[in-house]
Amino acid sequence: MTTATNIVVEREGRVQRLRAASVPYLLLLPAVIALAAVSLYPTLDGIRASLHRFRYGLDMGFTGGDNFTAVYNDPVFWQAIGTTALFVAFVVSIETLLGLLLALLVARELRFAGLIRVALILPMTIAPVVVGVIWRLLYASDIGVVDPLFQALGLGAPHVLAHPLSAFLGLVTVDVWEWTPLLFLIILAGLQSMPQDPLEAARVDGASALQTFFHHTLPLLRPVLLVAVVLRTIDAVGTFDQIFVLTKGGPGVSTQLISIYAYNTAFLFNQYGRAMAMLIGVLVVLILLMVAAVRLMRRSSQVIE
Amino acid sequence: MSDKTKNTGKSKLLKRRIRRRDFIKGGIAGSALLAGSGIFAPRIIRADTPSITIGSFQDNAMVPFHEYFIKEFTTKTGIAVNYNETNYDTWYQNCKNDGLNKTGAYDIYVMDDNWVPEFAAGKIVQSLDQLGFKANPDILPAGLEMGLWPPKSGARMKDFANDKPELYSIVIIDDVEILYYNKDFFPTAPVTWDDIYNVAKTTKAPDMYGWSPRGVKGNPIMMTYLPLLNSYGGNFVNPDWTPGFAGPEGVGALSRLFSFIPYMPDGVAEYDTDQEVQLMLEGKCTALTEYTGLAQRVDDPSSSKVVGKINMAATPKQVKSGPAIGTFIASVSSGAKNPQGAVQFLEWFTSSETQLEFARKYGGAAVTGSALSDPEAVQKHRWLPAIADAVNNSVEKPRTPDEPKMEDILGTALNEALVEAIAAKANYDAIAQKHLSAAADQITAYLKQQGGYF
Repeated sequence: MTTATNIVVEREGRVQRLRAASVPYLLLLPAVIALAAVSLYPTLDGIRASLHRFRYGLDMGFTGGDNFTAVYNDPVFWQAIGTTALFVAFVVSIETLLGLLLALLVARELRFAGLIRVALILPMTIAPVVVGVIWRLLYASDIGVVDPLFQALGLGAPHVLAHPLSAFLGLVTVDVWEWTPLLFLIILAGLQSMPQDPLEAARVDGASALQTFFHHTLPLLRPVLLVAVVLRTIDAVGTFDQIFVLTKGGPGVSTQLISIYAYNTAFLFNQYGRAMAMLIGVLVVLILLMVAAVRLMRRSSQVIE
Repeated sequence: MSDKTKNTGKSKLLKRRIRRRDFIKGGIAGSALLAGSGIFAPRIIRADTPSITIGSFQDNAMVPFHEYFIKEFTTKTGIAVNYNETNYDTWYQNCKNDGLNKTGAYDIYVMDDNWVPEFAAGKIVQSLDQLGFKANPDILPAGLEMGLWPPKSGARMKDFANDKPELYSIVIIDDVEILYYNKDFFPTAPVTWDDIYNVAKTTKAPDMYGWSPRGVKGNPIMMTYLPLLNSYGGNFVNPDWTPGFAGPEGVGALSRLFSFIPYMPDGVAEYDTDQEVQLMLEGKCTALTEYTGLAQRVDDPSSSKVVGKINMAATPKQVKSGPAIGTFIASVSSGAKNPQGAVQFLEWFTSSETQLEFARKYGGAAVTGSALSDPEAVQKHRWLPAIADAVNNSVEKPRTPDEPKMEDILGTALNEALVEAIAAKANYDAIAQKHLSAAADQITAYLKQQGGYF
């Protein structure tokens, strides 16, 4: 009798423990399902599409690695990758530098600091397509303001969007204008949450402002900077709207980032499989970069600790 | 009303709880009122009323179609017409998905003519021949042939080499490039590109330009180059799919375009339709080639400074005239719920009577010969004969689903060549040859990779 009761109690206890253990998973389930539906399924379907050939709008079936081979042998793809890398390198480094300078400026108790902060954040709040339209109107060689401004200064009209180099730099300018506020905000948050003791100690020890910045502020800020750079790099690789509105990748292919080329390949040339192969290639490279960045972050955090 | 009364009223309102039953009652009463007032009446189509649904991309040329003609059709036949439109790219994807999945959300797709190869080969649309559609013999043949798959003439893909051409789409607006020229500079219509060049040489930029082209990469600069290429005797592709633009004809055509550089705006490599057209409307250029939609705008005093000064003709020739054609074309979707109603609509809209009304009332780019040459229509809308002339001489783009990629390759090379020529201001032939040869090699490589061509 006692044994039987013990068995029942033990079984009930096990069921209760199982129930208790499964609650967190059950609570997580809706989120997991939602995430799988909006993120995992499209990714898996994209991988499937990259292994198929599409013709006349139809899926013609499994084609193995043909799309990847075609992408690998496509010179325009490599050109787009090169342009993307150059674009990302330019915008991320300029935006980080400017964001840091602005954050250092605003972090101090300046007059109108709040107003300055709001003004600096404004460009980021505008939709990228609208940003593209605004800058297209500024750059346009017939009705824009940039050309007349140069002419008023006694310089020749640059016709920004009509030449490969100026169009590329014009797009970098737009991106810097729009996204420096993001870097500024992240870095500002980092500066404001920074421990003040080491800085004060350095000042007491007679360190100059520059010495304090390079030997204390910057090392303490490194993890925040890395997060900011990683986030901005991922975002910059996918830049699309402004370029689509401003240049559509031209003149020639001078501003054709991988996002524009993949979009054209999918929706203009109807090569869905090839477009997916391109994007999966980019995704793999990005993941590798991110893994490296996270490791770097961990290592730098350990050094600081 | 005193404050006290107001407060009492407010508290009463707050105290009164809206019960579910009250909400439903109110809803029913409101619905009955709205239904009785007839506010929603025009949108409700009874289940037993025959109807068709037409989808299209937005374009000013479609305004008479949806504002007048679909209502006329309903009045005459009793078939209700639902009409939806969205932007070009979105509509292309929407109707393609609808057709591939046979959803039947639309009975008729209004399409760009270069969608026909993909939509017909992929059975996204139905064969009009098999639906019993009777094409009006009055329709200009060049426009009518845009709806055939496989094409009746020119290069054909191997998969369809022996298939009999069937009509999958029917032209509804004969959009084609025509020449617009300022009568102050050309007492008579220029016949050759040399005529235009000779007048261009007398212009002084920036007050007056001798030519206003589209220079943006891809489709825009292609629309500038194709009438030149065709007129110099070149081809986008030859009947065996080899590129036909890298020889002396294509190089001559591109060099001719470059010869206008001193008489074109400096930033022309970034010019698209809006900038190109604006120059003409401001009276700042002597001539340009553009689609028919500009014809009505040049006489609109609210947007034009050259009212009555611009005339229209077929695009100039060198060895022949060869404007690019870009028709608005319509098909019955693969999943159409009322295919016979759709056929009835298309037969009615492309009939000689309806097209005559389209030409007379709106000056639209009608698809029938009789409408474009009707004396009353021509007297009111002087551009109609130019449209007929241009359609009859038009040259279609390669009929293949890979045409957009081919156009992108050549359109990118043309833009690069233009940028280089503007910077160099010399060696036009060499620049043209270098870029055209590279584009030809790239297109050939692409077609070989795709298969089904050589």
